[in-house]
Amino acid sequence: MPHPGARSRARSIVSAGAPLLVVLLLGGCLLPPDPKTEAGQDVFNLYVVVLAFAAVVFVGVEGFIVYAIVRYRRQPGDNTLPEQHHGNTKVEILWTAIPSVIVLVLFIMSIITLGSVEARSDEPGVTIEVTAKQWTWDFSYPEGVTISGRSGEPTELPVPVGEPIRIVLHSADVNHAFFVPQFLIKRDAIDMGENASPNEIEFVVTEAGTYAGQCAEFCGIGHKDMIFVVNAMPRADYDAHMAALAASETPPPAAGGEDCATTIALAAEESIRFDTDSIEAPEDEDFCIELTNNDIVEHNVGIDEIGFYGENVAPGESITYVIPAMEAGEYTFLCTLHPQAMVGVLTVTE
Amino acid sequence: MATTTLDPRADTYGRSWVLDWLTTVDHKKIGILYIVNSFIFFFAAGILALVIRSELAVPGLQFVDVETYNQAFTMHGTIMIFLFVVPVLSGFGNYIVPLQIGAPDMAFPRINALSFWLLPLGGLLIFSGYLFGGAAAEGWTGYAPLAAERFSPGVGTDLWIIGLTLVGTASILGAVNFIATIFKMRAPGMTLFRMPIFVWTMLVTAVLILLATPVLAGGLIALFIDRNYGGSFFDPSVGGNPILWQHIFWFFGHPEVYIVILPAMGVVSEIIPVFSRKPLFGYKAFVFATIAIGLLSFSVWAHHMFTTGQVLLPFFAFMTTLIGIPTGVKMFNWLATMWRGKITLATPMLFAIGFLAMFLIGGISGVMLGQPPIDFHLQDTYFVVAHLHYVFFGGSVFGVFAAAYYWFPKMTGRMLNEPLGKVHFWLHFIGFNLTFFPHHQLGLSGMPRRIADYSPDAGWTILNLISTVGAFMIAVSVLPFLINVVASLINGEPAGDDPWEGNTLEWATTSPPPPYNFDRLPPIHSERPLFYLTHGHGHAVAAGREHEVEEAEEGADEDVAGDVEKREGLV
Repeated sequence: MPHPGARSRARSIVSAGAPLLVVLLLGGCLLPPDPKTEAGQDVFNLYVVVLAFAAVVFVGVEGFIVYAIVRYRRQPGDNTLPEQHHGNTKVEILWTAIPSVIVLVLFIMSIITLGSVEARSDEPGVTIEVTAKQWTWDFSYPEGVTISGRSGEPTELPVPVGEPIRIVLHSADVNHAFFVPQFLIKRDAIDMGENASPNEIEFVVTEAGTYAGQCAEFCGIGHKDMIFVVNAMPRADYDAHMAALAASETPPPAAGGEDCATTIALAAEESIRFDTDSIEAPEDEDFCIELTNNDIVEHNVGIDEIGFYGENVAPGESITYVIPAMEAGEYTFLCTLHPQAMVGVLTVTE
Repeated sequence: MATTTLDPRADTYGRSWVLDWLTTVDHKKIGILYIVNSFIFFFAAGILALVIRSELAVPGLQFVDVETYNQAFTMHGTIMIFLFVVPVLSGFGNYIVPLQIGAPDMAFPRINALSFWLLPLGGLLIFSGYLFGGAAAEGWTGYAPLAAERFSPGVGTDLWIIGLTLVGTASILGAVNFIATIFKMRAPGMTLFRMPIFVWTMLVTAVLILLATPVLAGGLIALFIDRNYGGSFFDPSVGGNPILWQHIFWFFGHPEVYIVILPAMGVVSEIIPVFSRKPLFGYKAFVFATIAIGLLSFSVWAHHMFTTGQVLLPFFAFMTTLIGIPTGVKMFNWLATMWRGKITLATPMLFAIGFLAMFLIGGISGVMLGQPPIDFHLQDTYFVVAHLHYVFFGGSVFGVFAAAYYWFPKMTGRMLNEPLGKVHFWLHFIGFNLTFFPHHQLGLSGMPRRIADYSPDAGWTILNLISTVGAFMIAVSVLPFLINVVASLINGEPAGDDPWEGNTLEWATTSPPPPYNFDRLPPIHSERPLFYLTHGHGHAVAAGREHEVEEAEEGADEDVAGDVEKREGLV
């Protein structure tokens, strides 16, 4: 018959181990998304191996802590001293060696995986020049198509499946990062000036589909709105899609308006703001908006309610648009690149 | 014949209580000022954490706008690191280090006072951005070019720079003081290898501060010049380099991680032996591991920059991975100390064990992030937020509370209430894990840091909600602690000199100690002078051998241990 104290001790070990099990079960879901690129699969595999090491270390150490607390608890009234161990060189050498071996194995595996993540093909299927800017993405294709987005709405990044896609990362202003969770990859988009060439990444998408991406490097108040979506499709579909995009590119509204009765002067000022947050226009007659960009980054002007969106204006330039007659009321004017900071009310008065 | 006896405890002249605290140069009072000041900033930064967690509880912007949110996480990080974790551990160091080495005070008492008083000043300057159009909002890392004048024109960022420079200056002065104190003020017999581990960790920390913090100060001044005087250190459009800021910041920032974790490791290494009634297993290995971590910490900074594409990945990955070895050694030493001990789960021990359990997770996730391919996925996601909180909060803050419960009786002469302490621990422990464990999964599934809002379709809602509940649980857990401190100060059980059967010299004097610390010191023959004093029978050095041992400069601990083992063998 087992010693009664031993049984209660065993029971308390089990009861202390139960929460540990729960944690372990939770650990079962500690995985990245299902990878959709070839290199992403390699990263995923590496991660799983590392997680397995981590789980063994976690269970071993936490288990030991719980065991020690239960097994070596000082009993009330026990004033004797345990044996005073000061150390044991052999054991200490052993447990210096164990983590050394583990970390070296991990390091070697990482370097091997790094080779596959960083591999570059001689002839990528498509090279896309990506410009990250506060707070939108521009995707420029060799076919001459540039896809620009509105901040807060996902900008489409069409790519063909099954061939290497090279992404060249530029920044027009602060640091950003190109991140697609399902590709398990991320790289900063930094304005390197003359210090270095822009960062590049390459990946082969393995499955058609749409994959959400967003900026991962904090870049100001529009950070959360710098979203995009990778649209991966077979090569034939991709070619057709790009041709359609090239054909359907709606030309920006024509500039003009030398003979406007009413011209509203609007200026984009430094550090991303309009010089005013309210402008007025007369009812039922055409009027003009003249946008002058005094800032150091591109801006535009749009009026949401009538679906008017002007072209991006480079720093130092200005542009004038004729706006067709509108009914009396309040409208929103904004810069679609920076709606977080550049938005105001256009009042059309009777 | 009437004689006048001079009582050394008598104040030489009367001073008002307030003036006394404002002008004190006593390391114990300055230590308490450090601790109280740090906790005030802790509560302020904690409220900012609640703002962050409230906003993220569910998708949509409910409580604050994005700008306020960005200021909140910037101030939260800055204040927690620079005005809570670092100074609170310095505060314990200030109070305890001179006592543990048998010194009457720090080496430079007036510099000590100066380095404290710069802290509230720097902290208020950083916070004062809120009064001048908004606090800094670039994140605690203040990355250029976002922190440049043209992207962040507000004066809040300038105040952040000036405040941090003052706080950094305070750290540097404090570090010089610790180094001088530890090298020059040790009591006779207190050789380097008889110093308590806490003193060792404070020494290595002070060296790290001395080498790393001036680099940050230089970077901050360069940023200030860029912002205000047309400099171009970090502006690529005029030949500067934005990556330079990251190098400077992390060359400071990674040693900074060890600046906040090493003293907490020291605290834990004091507590675990006392509450296991055993010496620290492998004292010297522990000291060498501490020094190794300190040295390695200067060669790993670029692992914060793997995704910049501008650093030599294999080198920094290798050095980062190496840090796992001395850290692993320390973990094994702590576990072996508990092995076959007689463990008492008093509140300080609970927090120390909490440190082991939680810091382990931070260490593991650190090794994961140190692998560049994995980091490419996880960098700047909530996985990093989880990792850094398991190190800073699960590690350092558990260490801070362990220290608070352990040394409160020495500082005040009163015990803290044990049941309230246990309530505090469990609320804190569960709240902490509820808050930060889900962040691992959020990061793995791609939620970036520093976003004020997320899409309801992203699948991040439930984990964020759990995390927010946990954050409020942590906030609630502070209440029993505060009640405990106040109630115990008024009506706590008297502590006596040595309530925990401690090993080190601070327990050899009264609680609280007199201004000059010690009436007399016990003989120091090992890193546990008090242990050998109280457990003399069969454990102390025989009187006849005392001078022999004193002559042995180093390795005295083994000598004593050897004696003890021989003696016990004979018995």
